[in-house]
Amino acid sequence: MTRFVLRRLAELVPTALVIVAASFALVRLAPGSPFSSEREIPPEVLSQLNAKYGFDRPLPEQFARYLGNLLRGDLGLSTKYPQRSVNEIIAAGFPVTLTLAGVALIWSLLVGITAGIIGAVRQNTVWDHAAMATALVGLSIPSFVLGPVLVLVVSLRWHLLPPAGWGDWRHVILPGLTLGTIYAASIARLTRGGMLEVVRSDFIRTARAKGLPERLVIWRHMLRGGLLPVVSYLGPAIASMLTGSVVVEKIFNIPGIGPYFVDAAFNRDYFLVMGIVLLYAFFLLLMNLLVDVAYFLLDPRIEYP
Amino acid sequence: MELRRPFVRRRISLAVGGGLAISLALGCRPADTRFFGTTTPRHPPNELWINNAGEPEWLDPNKCADGNGGEIIWNTFAGLVQAHPATLEPMPAIATHWDVSADRRTYTFHLRPSEWSDGTPLTAHDFVFSFRRLLDPRTASKYATNGHIFKGGAAVSRGAAPPESLGVRAVDDRTLEVVLEDPLPYVLSFLTFYSFMPIPRHLLADLERRGIEEALWTRPEHVVSNGAYRLTEWKFRQRMVCERNPRYWDAAHVRLDRVRVAMVESYTTALTMYAAGEFDWPGSNTSLPAEFMDYLAGYQDFHRHPYLASYYYWINTTAPPLDNPLLRRALALAIDREALVRYVTRGGQIPSADLVPHGVAGYQGLDRPLFDPVRARRLLLEAGYPTGAAVPAITLTYNTSEGHKQVAEAIQQMWKDVLGITVELENQEWKVFLSTAELNNFQLCRMGWTGDYADPFTFLELLSSACGNNHSNWSDPAYDQLLTEANREPDPLARLAKFRVAEALALEAQPLIPLYTYTRSQLVKPYVRGIWGNHQDRHPWKYIWIDDSAPPEPGADPPPPAPGEIAS
Repeated sequence: MTRFVLRRLAELVPTALVIVAASFALVRLAPGSPFSSEREIPPEVLSQLNAKYGFDRPLPEQFARYLGNLLRGDLGLSTKYPQRSVNEIIAAGFPVTLTLAGVALIWSLLVGITAGIIGAVRQNTVWDHAAMATALVGLSIPSFVLGPVLVLVVSLRWHLLPPAGWGDWRHVILPGLTLGTIYAASIARLTRGGMLEVVRSDFIRTARAKGLPERLVIWRHMLRGGLLPVVSYLGPAIASMLTGSVVVEKIFNIPGIGPYFVDAAFNRDYFLVMGIVLLYAFFLLLMNLLVDVAYFLLDPRIEYP
Repeated sequence: MELRRPFVRRRISLAVGGGLAISLALGCRPADTRFFGTTTPRHPPNELWINNAGEPEWLDPNKCADGNGGEIIWNTFAGLVQAHPATLEPMPAIATHWDVSADRRTYTFHLRPSEWSDGTPLTAHDFVFSFRRLLDPRTASKYATNGHIFKGGAAVSRGAAPPESLGVRAVDDRTLEVVLEDPLPYVLSFLTFYSFMPIPRHLLADLERRGIEEALWTRPEHVVSNGAYRLTEWKFRQRMVCERNPRYWDAAHVRLDRVRVAMVESYTTALTMYAAGEFDWPGSNTSLPAEFMDYLAGYQDFHRHPYLASYYYWINTTAPPLDNPLLRRALALAIDREALVRYVTRGGQIPSADLVPHGVAGYQGLDRPLFDPVRARRLLLEAGYPTGAAVPAITLTYNTSEGHKQVAEAIQQMWKDVLGITVELENQEWKVFLSTAELNNFQLCRMGWTGDYADPFTFLELLSSACGNNHSNWSDPAYDQLLTEANREPDPLARLAKFRVAEALALEAQPLIPLYTYTRSQLVKPYVRGIWGNHQDRHPWKYIWIDDSAPPEPGADPPPPAPGEIAS
């Protein structure tokens, strides 16, 4: 197990290198520059700006320098927010995005697993159909519709929660629900499917045969088996909650890092684009690794070399 | 100044707009149906909550080049002169009065005794330091060209002359002498611009001594300023808080204690927050979403006024078939601008076939015909095309945005209907678009320009051969000569007349097709007073106050103070 984790961690390095090289090449190939605007910038000013960020150097040298800085943990300076380093921007925004994703995750697990269990245990009853129909609706409503509708009802009509912004716990509820609902729907369907799959397997029959109460059968055996597909889904889901928070963060004006993913590319904020891409890539790889480890812990049948 | 704001943030706001549309459909009306949203302030008295539409790039007056930074700088710094809140006429600020030499090139400003927010006396040297720093190539200011009005400014910004050679000097602590390159009549208005605010050189020196990076001087923990407010809190991409500066020279007239400035980029989110009472006024930098304009215009807290900005299409005059001036003029005349603003843009824009917005600083517009299909067809014939179908393919490029797309599609249809010319549309992402424009890699492309000061020159300069923002490849020495002569002309009326001749000369060649003059639409809660509409959308906070005792009656603002009343 330890060897497996270490090997996977070691594999991260070449992957990260490829990602850095590819994103560096792509962002530099795009036409336009970080400093272009409809107002002409005097050439002297432009050369000063380019020199400040090292853009006046040959590209290979810039790449080498970027890698060097990266090894020291320095992600460079933002061109759009010239008083801030990329490290500072990510340090300010990432906890916000993590909080939002955390709330969304808790919401989606709570609702999704509950609905899934109800569906599986009461298969083909009104309860099952109601839970799965709700899940289908949840899955079909995109966040850019759900968000404004929640704002309309909860904020503008009932005056219960602020319509947007960030600061205290009241600000996190609506965006958390908006972001989490679509995943709750998927989790509900996956939980139900997973549990139904194990319901007829031998170890459930054994559990019942040895006289375990039904409650324990459900919680200890069925759920554990039924959650496997959910766990494998959670890795990409968490990653996509982080990256997919773009729209929700825009709607609710949340100062997370989601919007940078799009805006930094539009602004040709070279170092910020790279920083965000690297961060996302790192999380994606890490999540996948965690999923594999979780599999190992949840399913005794799985063995690692 | 940037002009894509009104349209660009549309991608996601459109989605948010869907929700808002549902809200409108459900008839979600507040208690007082005359106004959009709540009419009760949600904050302590003497506080104002506004939006600033985004994180500023710089709060450093010399380096700032965007409206988000400008809004904060204007309210936390005070320059030699200030703009009147309604007329924008220059009025005394740090300078109490000034003498102008006979050739109108030398201005001697007499400064009042005043202090920085840390109690350090403010002197003429702080202005000299600022103006030199604006032009110093090491500052790398995107607005360095603003300093070209000073004698020797262009040479300093090129690095060809030392900053000390600039035509600006402190005669003594309270007297500042400014020598201009040309006797520009708009110089006092221009000096109200944020680039020309003083810089606390003592703070910069202190930071250098302490080994703190200079770029950090505008952070709340360091900043020293001299305006009506001082920045006390800045949470990156969340909010800023500005508090009354007791050391401001005119502190007695500042009415609000605190201004909370949010940074909400999505216009639809800003609109929702306004409805919920999170904003008293979305602020100068927030545009109202065009799709709700008709709906919002029915409310009494909706205000609209003309704005000093033109929307137009550049023509690349060297790319066939548009190298033919007759064809260019035919295209310009075949656009029904009235219909365009009434049915497509719908923001009350003023249709115009002139580049300079009508009535800028007394300038008499050319009033070129807005639409003349008969003449357009005749010009097409004269251009050598019996029918529109004979015209080779033309492509119109615009930066990706729903608003620009609608305008382009309407005009595509008009050209098809009136002239029979088929035009292809091409949209490009903003930075790609900018590089296309810069490289003249287009036939027709859309652009807009906001005047930096109330003078025709800020628009006419666009067509001069030396101007880097001239994307038409058109140049005419006679035109350049007229502009130069006009700016050396001491008589203001004769100067405007020369500009008129110049504009007529240029538009006869049609290197661009003007479409309309912008308007600005605002929502302001009825309890917010002291915001007067003006064509640069500049609303100093120092004149604003909250009056929630009065019944919410619109238009009840007292007349703005007369210039003489403020100059004390």
